[in-house]
Amino acid sequence: MKPTQQLREQDVDVRRFEYDDGAVLAADFGFVGESTVEIVDDTVIVVADGQQYDVELNGDAQAFMKNGVLTIEVSA
Amino acid sequence: MRLTVKPLKQKDAGRGLAAVDRRAMEEMGVENGDYVVIEGSEGRAVARVWPGYPEDDGRAVVRIDGQLRQETGTGIDDSVEVEPADVQPASSITVALPQNLRVRGNVGPMIRQNLSGQAVAEGQTVPVSFGLGPLSSMQGQKIPLKIASTEPSGTVVVTDSTEVNVSEQPAEQIAGGQPGGEERQTPDVTYEDIGGLDDELEQVREMIELPMRHPELFQQLGIEPPKGVLLHGPPGTGKTLMARAVANEIDAYFTDISGPEIMSKYYGESEEQLREVFEEAEENAPAVVFIDEIDSIAPERGETSGDVERRVVAQLLSLMDGLEERGEVIVIGATNRVDALDPALRRGGRFDREIEVGVPDKDGRKEILQVHTRGMPLTDDIDLDRYAENTHGFVGADLEQLSKEAAMNALRRIRPELDLEEDEIDAATLEKLEVTEEDFKQALKGIEPSALREVFVEVPDVTWDSVGGLEDTKERLREAIQWPLEYPEVFQQMDMQAAKGVLMYGPPGTGKTLLAKAIANEAQSNFISIKGPELLNKYVGESEKGVREVFEKARANAPTVVFFDEIDSIAGERGQHSGDSGVGERVVSQLLTELDGLEELEDVVVIATTNRPDLIDSALLRPGRLDRHIHVPVPDEEARRKIFEVHTRDKPLADDIDLDDLAARTEGYVGADIEAVAREASMAATREFIHSVDPEDVDTSVGNVRVTADHFEQALKEVTPSVTEETKEKYEEIEQQFDTAEPATDEDAVGRTFH
Repeated sequence: MKPTQQLREQDVDVRRFEYDDGAVLAADFGFVGESTVEIVDDTVIVVADGQQYDVELNGDAQAFMKNGVLTIEVSA
Repeated sequence: MRLTVKPLKQKDAGRGLAAVDRRAMEEMGVENGDYVVIEGSEGRAVARVWPGYPEDDGRAVVRIDGQLRQETGTGIDDSVEVEPADVQPASSITVALPQNLRVRGNVGPMIRQNLSGQAVAEGQTVPVSFGLGPLSSMQGQKIPLKIASTEPSGTVVVTDSTEVNVSEQPAEQIAGGQPGGEERQTPDVTYEDIGGLDDELEQVREMIELPMRHPELFQQLGIEPPKGVLLHGPPGTGKTLMARAVANEIDAYFTDISGPEIMSKYYGESEEQLREVFEEAEENAPAVVFIDEIDSIAPERGETSGDVERRVVAQLLSLMDGLEERGEVIVIGATNRVDALDPALRRGGRFDREIEVGVPDKDGRKEILQVHTRGMPLTDDIDLDRYAENTHGFVGADLEQLSKEAAMNALRRIRPELDLEEDEIDAATLEKLEVTEEDFKQALKGIEPSALREVFVEVPDVTWDSVGGLEDTKERLREAIQWPLEYPEVFQQMDMQAAKGVLMYGPPGTGKTLLAKAIANEAQSNFISIKGPELLNKYVGESEKGVREVFEKARANAPTVVFFDEIDSIAGERGQHSGDSGVGERVVSQLLTELDGLEELEDVVVIATTNRPDLIDSALLRPGRLDRHIHVPVPDEEARRKIFEVHTRDKPLADDIDLDDLAARTEGYVGADIEAVAREASMAATREFIHSVDPEDVDTSVGNVRVTADHFEQALKEVTPSVTEETKEKYEEIEQQFDTAEPATDEDAVGRTFH
């Protein structure tokens, strides 16, 4: 399943931006508070608002969350 | 650094996001989610950084929504100063509600949820949707809240641990606080409030914004800037909205003329009023004059009867392109009857460009739905994509109606808890208000596309399951009608055109109309049903016009299935009868050109049924018109069994009934006959039951009634097969003719056309 789809199934409204050198997934949780983002193997684990969201990715990825905006960068 | 302002996509709007292009992001050293200060000519605003759109890469662009544009006092293509901002989380904020809002209880949590993540400053006005969505009477669907004070002071961000207090004073009594935070109105209509019209909007902006902002460009080129734009398209597609958005976004004087308003009973006064509007606009230039429903004041001069209309048109013509310079006054006209306008208006120098605002496609519909559900508390299971797909032929106004109806349904649920006598509404009730999937489903049932209202038929509740037997026929219909709509990419890859039409023929009662009903239900298209004779009209030319109108509607609402029942009544062989002054023939000719003429028939499938395929004009049957001929045959034994199954599915049958045996004994029975048999059998059982039981016991003993084999015996005696061996053979002959002799009929058709 595509990462965007995985997130949509978990009710996160996610946007995908395709650049020349990779893609960026961005989601606005509209929430500012305790949140963590970790990458374990190929899975991005996001904990926000006491809820956990998992996204499986293939390939290298970087993820961080700032002021409620989750960014996952996937290299091409 | 200085960046150029562009509009945000509808989806990202309304959340205080600023999409900064990636190179600018690098240069400023900010990442997604960081806060930035956007400083325009008239104010500053704080927004969170959102990834820039790929098409903006390296173009120094920041995309912000209408609200942020309003706050910073900028328009599209203006430049703004964008700097990283240091923003503190707020420990508490105090907000003031507008005076006319009557809510009781603690609205704090709801406001916090709405503002969470947004940066606010003292004195700022922030629009908040209060869960009522488009139902609230407030302008722009939102309630303007005023931030009375913040802790710590300065620009702060609302988090989930921020304490939200509601001020005792109403918003109106709190004066603007710090500099840069003076009273501002929430924007009326912004570009983000228009969904699915990106191309059209771009064209309008090019015509109107460019000349107003940079007249020197046109001087350099040595041309006159455009003077007017004419928007035309079906009702409800957003023409007026577009004009309002443009007027709102560019900082120009806006005045509008509503057609009937300027008409006066005194001689010369109507023109006078028209002149006044233009004079007023000229004094306040740059200005936009918007003429809604322009066809009402500028109809074709040759055809109007009244003297006044003619003079008004002439006045308008000379105002728009007369001897006197008009200066920076641009006219936007809107109409849904573009052909009714005076042709002199439709030339360069008056309305330089005509922009068609069409019925939105799937993506457009999704954007429109997003716009209208933006302020609505939707439950998570609502999939707007699905609704965008299911709403063929819906225009913006219909979609707005749909979301409004859905919200009304949600409101109906909490109605019992509302006390209308009381002045205030409990905040807890407001919080509970949520629009669910079910609400949308119910709403969709009640709304039909406005363009189709005249010819709309309720889609019958018949599925493929309700059709017994006819497997072959069903499969071929599915191929012809459902596949092109469901797998367009396959058809494109194979370089294949979808079938334009299907002719179903067969003896009476074999289920042709039933099949059409099933298609209407399963094809996910709009369905127009035409009963042949209703097209005929006593006036010359009107009957053909009827045919034209049907196809016009079908095109406008594609994908559409147009269903002609008993087509032999309107499409008989030409050149045979002379009694009806040739109306029949002209209708056939019209039908022929509609099906395969210069105007392409896109995503419109015609289904026709007949008992007499031999009577139909052969030109209609050639490939490219009704190119698939499907024989709906008299059912064989196996098919009959299936038909019996369908008709006895919900009947209480006794155990001694053997459907196989019944099927074997009903040679020559068609679907309608079998239905009659089943009905007669249950009638016999009912008759027996009612005669034998005391009327008072009917309710208690009705559950024991069974339809037995005996009853079927009786029914079989009463219902005789409607198709004789002879008829059956005749249809088989016709089928053979259609299958083998196609080229021959084709030649024939060509020959006839040229005589």
